Amino acid sequence: MDLCDYAAYQLAWMIRRKQVSAVEVLESTLNRIAAVDGVPGRLDGGQDTEPDKIHAFITLTAERARQQAQRIDQAIQAGEEVGPLAGVPFTVKDIFCVEGTPSTAASKILSNFVAPYTATPVARAEQAGGIMLGKVNLDEFTFGSSNESSAYRPSPRNPWNTARVPGGSSGGSAAAVAAGEGCLSIGTDTAGSIRQPAAFCGVVGLKPTYGRVSRYGLIAFGSSLDCPGPLARNVSDAALLLQVMSGADPHDSTAANFPVPDYVTDLEKPIRGLRIGLSPDYFRITYVEGESGELAQQPVPEDYQQAIYRVAGRLAEMGADIIEDVPMPHTKYSIPAYFVISRVEAASNLHRYDGVKYGYRTKQPVHDLREMYRKTRGEGFGLQPKLRILMGMYVSAAQYSEQYYMRALRVRTLIRRDFEAIFDPQGKYRLHALLTPTTPTTAFPIAQVYGDSVLMQFADQLTVAANHAGVPAISFPCGFDPEGLPYGAQLIGADFSEDLLLRIARNYEIVTESDQWRKRIPPILQNL
Amino acid sequence: MTIEYEAVIGLETHIQLNTLTKIFCPCKADSWNDPPNTNICPVCTGLPGVLPVLNKAAVEKAMLLAAAMNAEIQPISFFDRKNYFYPDLPKGYQISQYNLPIARGGYLAFPMPDGSERKVTIQKLHLEEDAGKTKNDFGRRLIDFNRCGVPLVEMVTGPDLRSADEAAQYIIRLRQLLRWIGVSEADMEKGHLRCDANVSIRPKGSNVLNPKTEIKNVNSIVAVREAIQTEIQRQIREVEAGHRIEAWTLEWDEESGILRKMRSKETEADYRYFREPDLLSLQIDESWKTAVLSTLPELPLQRRARFAQQYGLPIYDADILTSERSLSEYYEATLQAYQGDPKRVSNWIINDLLRILNDLGIIAADLRVTPAYLAQIIRMVDENVINLSTGKALLDKVQNSGKDPATIVAEEGLAKLSDTDALEAMIQQLINENPQQVENYRKGKTGLLGWFVGQVMKQTQGKADAQLTRSILEKYLNP
Repeated sequence: MDLCDYAAYQLAWMIRRKQVSAVEVLESTLNRIAAVDGVPGRLDGGQDTEPDKIHAFITLTAERARQQAQRIDQAIQAGEEVGPLAGVPFTVKDIFCVEGTPSTAASKILSNFVAPYTATPVARAEQAGGIMLGKVNLDEFTFGSSNESSAYRPSPRNPWNTARVPGGSSGGSAAAVAAGEGCLSIGTDTAGSIRQPAAFCGVVGLKPTYGRVSRYGLIAFGSSLDCPGPLARNVSDAALLLQVMSGADPHDSTAANFPVPDYVTDLEKPIRGLRIGLSPDYFRITYVEGESGELAQQPVPEDYQQAIYRVAGRLAEMGADIIEDVPMPHTKYSIPAYFVISRVEAASNLHRYDGVKYGYRTKQPVHDLREMYRKTRGEGFGLQPKLRILMGMYVSAAQYSEQYYMRALRVRTLIRRDFEAIFDPQGKYRLHALLTPTTPTTAFPIAQVYGDSVLMQFADQLTVAANHAGVPAISFPCGFDPEGLPYGAQLIGADFSEDLLLRIARNYEIVTESDQWRKRIPPILQNL
Repeated sequence: MTIEYEAVIGLETHIQLNTLTKIFCPCKADSWNDPPNTNICPVCTGLPGVLPVLNKAAVEKAMLLAAAMNAEIQPISFFDRKNYFYPDLPKGYQISQYNLPIARGGYLAFPMPDGSERKVTIQKLHLEEDAGKTKNDFGRRLIDFNRCGVPLVEMVTGPDLRSADEAAQYIIRLRQLLRWIGVSEADMEKGHLRCDANVSIRPKGSNVLNPKTEIKNVNSIVAVREAIQTEIQRQIREVEAGHRIEAWTLEWDEESGILRKMRSKETEADYRYFREPDLLSLQIDESWKTAVLSTLPELPLQRRARFAQQYGLPIYDADILTSERSLSEYYEATLQAYQGDPKRVSNWIINDLLRILNDLGIIAADLRVTPAYLAQIIRMVDENVINLSTGKALLDKVQNSGKDPATIVAEEGLAKLSDTDALEAMIQQLINENPQQVENYRKGKTGLLGWFVGQVMKQTQGKADAQLTRSILEKYLNP
């Protein structure tokens, strides 16, 4: 085990006590990156000739990180106060602006954009002493669930099996954390983009309550759904990063003024008496039958279901009350409603990439402004943004808006009410959390699903409802399938109940501490 | 038989609020004297990842305007995105308000010069951000983002105006109101108040709404009057020639006085409005509303009516005195200090003080001739301490020096010469020295009296009491 494999909270503690320097931790991490990451994602990436590498990064900012680490060491030597993340290396999904670094959104259209300012969550992690390693890969503009839509190739691979996808859109974040390329990563979650890759890569990922973490500096996808959040190798580290990122922000009026509780101190408080629900609506997926257009349902694979029931059993051992058969009747409409709402917002959010002010502009000769727009956007956007723009334009057009967009908003309200009902302290269920599988399957093979954007979307089926409702949710690892791929368990809670979710997840870590599956490490790290 | 037509006109105005900073970021709002692209930041230039944060001052100014327009301020309203591509619109959408704006309804009732009153309804009143400016420069397109994010209120009237004069009068009264309540500089030349006009015609007495044309950029009072008049006449000619009026968008060329067709409006653009997810709903509770509206002054037309009624002023005087808020306050403060005939104070202001204001290009609030000083001057004239011409001359002296009028009178010895003995001696001498004039006068050229008065005034530097001088002269010239 190398320094880079330690937990963030351990490293911070060791660095503060001068048992190890921030520079040593950083160099260990940079060595790991050199060993496992291979070539970074590039626009002209071509064929992937390193099928056994992770390829998490787009931009590695090693020198910037070294300077930061030296400053931390100097501060500690000088006896100065340092923040809770002092010396802890972390990566940032390349959907956040960081001053002076290329901020690409994994898209050709922003390939030459160097941000002049830093996103609030990143700035806060750096102010807390965190060492930013660089920007990691994602689906283009976060549009995807496998990381395969990135314009920066090769796209990341899953450390547990490099023939599998790491999930998406925070695929680079999850893969990097799983492979020891930084203890922490800041990702974003619009439909499951933190939790799904966290589940696929066997790490912890938390989507906070909408507004808990400022979106300032996050290149927008679905503005009413986007949530920045932490990815980490354990629950305590996720709590530590969430702690420093959360809170009101004068640059984001949708960031909540609600006080930020202490996420770290009470993590190991017992969960006796907490009411945790299981819903049949989260053990099946609903999809549109290709031929008939009818809604059809399919159960989540039996082995995945059993993995979640085992989690419920262990939580019950710790004294939690498990409540079964909790109805979540509108879950099945989450994906269609999401298709409409997210694309309307995405189409509008992508308007600004027009080649006028920054970013890519066509090199072809143009005769007028329209042609410049058309060629710039035609060449600069990949397939996913184009599909989303087309659909978003269509369903918000004056003649269709009522039929699609307004209707989807009403469905969203119904989804929100499902959650309000089960978390109502005076209601029938009075739940503290809902326990579900994070994903319908474990990590799927590269190139198996990509290209079918409808099928791809169902990877988000069990996560997206929390985005509609704005409620927090956490994914944490809970074992491996027969092929050695991680299962992810999800806990969804009421508004601003991140502290409870973290506590339940941490209690699960404690009770499973000596389980055999906890000893496994990704194969790619075994021969280092 | 000839048909008599009437025009049906609605005005769409954009009012630039005079806040210090822009509506969604802390950049300076007024860039009139600044070079292009100097008052900009990541937010107003629409960089990736930025978010708008609503400026409360812009909301409060919109609240004042809504109240002054008799519109109903809404307890909850929303911002929406208006999506379209244009190089000077950096986000590719404008943050505006759509179906649930900050205020609903409203009207402005205003007098026409002939004494009649017009009432114009307000169909739309909402807050939005301005776009930048595009300039064509020999095949290049230059963009200035300074104006991006400057707060605007868009206000659209119903089709209630019936002539170009009415339209111009509405803009005059709106401009007066905006300055009066302090929400906009309303300088049309600087684009603080912009106007587009929708014009159609119909036979007088009919209530159909015929296809209208939209005239863009009528950005002065003269332009409003002339462009609309020109368009009304064009439409009448077209209809009389048996043609249909088509829904064109026209542009007024102020220099050559002609309307140019910009485009045919076949279909309405689809802006794909939807709620701005980056902003919370705008909630205005009673206490905020009460606090803001408590600063709303008596409005100009109300004050005009009150001046006429309370002080017995002719409407002509009341209109001038209420043309600008500080002038009306100046008038009342002077009257308060003077404690005399309201009309007399009005005369002084309208006949003499306005000249000073115009010459110096200032408003009444900036005068060094304070209301108390003006009252003092009028009173000195009333009490025969100084004569009228000295009084008028004093206005300039006080304005230039800032000194108390009484001090100036004392220092410069401006008080009237009303010492009968001194005057008699002076006149006696005058008569002795000018036998020819005396003789001519006595022969019947009585007009020469003025010449004698003038001589006395010359010798006394205007300080002689004119009436007294006249009566002494008459006594000596008609023995």
